Amino acid sequence: MAALTPDAPQISLRGVSKTYPNGTVALREVTLEIPKQDFVFLVGPSGAGKSTLVRLLIREEKATSGIIRVEGQDLSRLKRRHLPFLRRKIGMVFQDFKLLPNLSVFQNVAFALRVTEGALRHLKPKVEEVLSIVGLEGKEDKFPDELSGGEQQRVAIARALVHDPRIFLADEPTGNLDPATSWEIIQLLLQINARGTTVLMATHNREIVDVMRRRVVAIEGGQIVRDEDAGGYHAPALESR
Amino acid sequence: MHRLWNRVDFAFGSAWQNFWRNAAVSIASVLIVWVVLLALGSLLLVLHSLDRIVALEKTKASAISVYLADTTPLSSAMDFKLHLEADPRVSNVTYVSKDQAMARFRDLPALDPSVIDTLGTNPLPASLDVTVKDIRDLGAIDQEVRNSPLVDKSPATNYEPNVIDKIILLARVAGIAGLALIVGLTGLSVFIIMLTIRTAIYLRRKEIEVMKLVGATDWYLRVVLAAMLAFGLLLGSVGSYLGVRRFLKQ
Ligand SMILES: Nc1ncnc2c1ncn2[C@@H]1O[C@H](COP(=O)(O)OP(=O)(O)OP(=O)(O)O)[C@@H](O)[C@H]1O
Ligand SMILES: [Mg+2]
Repeated sequence: MAALTPDAPQISLRGVSKTYPNGTVALREVTLEIPKQDFVFLVGPSGAGKSTLVRLLIREEKATSGIIRVEGQDLSRLKRRHLPFLRRKIGMVFQDFKLLPNLSVFQNVAFALRVTEGALRHLKPKVEEVLSIVGLEGKEDKFPDELSGGEQQRVAIARALVHDPRIFLADEPTGNLDPATSWEIIQLLLQINARGTTVLMATHNREIVDVMRRRVVAIEGGQIVRDEDAGGYHAPALESR
Repeated sequence: MHRLWNRVDFAFGSAWQNFWRNAAVSIASVLIVWVVLLALGSLLLVLHSLDRIVALEKTKASAISVYLADTTPLSSAMDFKLHLEADPRVSNVTYVSKDQAMARFRDLPALDPSVIDTLGTNPLPASLDVTVKDIRDLGAIDQEVRNSPLVDKSPATNYEPNVIDKIILLARVAGIAGLALIVGLTGLSVFIIMLTIRTAIYLRRKEIEVMKLVGATDWYLRVVLAAMLAFGLLLGSVGSYLGVRRFLKQ
């Protein structure tokens, strides 16, 4: 396993393409580097390939070609039995949340910690800690269908945080949320980033991207069309028009 | 140590939760396994007793009485006995004298002893009771002894080929049918258990997918699934054990 040299990017994609089995080309020759503690917005129209890119990083899908490295590990060469350990380093908020409807809020979060076979006595305090970070104290015993969309989103974020991940991937964490709730979620991600975690967030939320002035990577039709630090949702040329 | 305990605790905790959440399906699969195990268990019991009955009938039927002529001296009878005992197909030969035959006859139930007393002389012949190792050799032995001058002619033996053939046939049919049923039911149980496993995995596919995505190892998933199944099967087995016990008590 290649050691991570201090200046090597935490996440790097080189010439990565993804063609789904049905023939859909979702990514073409994508090259991207994300250093440690970066905060990156991934923007682009629906179907651009944002979710695909994020899914490749936890190897939910495999790249068709190109090289993806996460913390120095080449994902195409990562053995199946090492995959769970990669995933434990990454906190992922899925576009569709992927909460289990028959588990309570507490159990949904605890579940992610339990599968890592950690000590049971640390479980309860840890789950309570992340639930309070996302502001869900008092809702531990509710089930997902008893929660609002924003609350479900927070459960998904809490679950992604419970491992103390080094990388936090959020796929449209503000989709379907009202502006106020969206801002709360963004504040949360900023806090997470401030604690030293790299954050990559796929989003359609133009207002947030424009106000935040963070790094913006824009993809369209599976290709990176723009990558700027302190960017806006649209390219400057378009904005001035 | 706590890690192992955590695994076990979660596996069983999860199995328990899942059992009640998917109660309908869990109970249905447990019941199916229960019924199949019960059927298999009772079939084995029935076959076992049938086997014992057939074995008993076979030992009873694999003996013939060779009736000796009243003129045969005891020494010749003993020589004949030794000759028969030397035959490798024969397992045992017992000499029954005229008096012993009469005593046996008297012991027969539903027979009025006074009838025998009116006879005056003893009409029953002495005999050699020959037991063979394999019931199928009985016919050949019967043929051989009939030719001996020492043997009575009316009748020579109590050999009844029809009965023997029927017993041989019954034993064979029972054996084949029992084997076929065991193979069939075992196959059915394996099939149902595998179907139950697949259903369990199918019902939990979302859970399994999410577990994988948050970093569960394959090994961990296997433990959790095995625990869920073991739990279901345990319930099924306890159920069928209780069922068989009730069935036996009746
Ligand atoms: N599992 C799949 N099988 C086949 N094609 C897929 C699959 N997932 C996505 N696609 C296709 O790949 C392309 C990129 O999809 P992706 O989900 O990455 O887009 P996205 O940028 O996340 O869109 P959105 O903003 O709507 O979430 C689309 O054309 C989509 O139809
Ligand atoms: Mg998407």
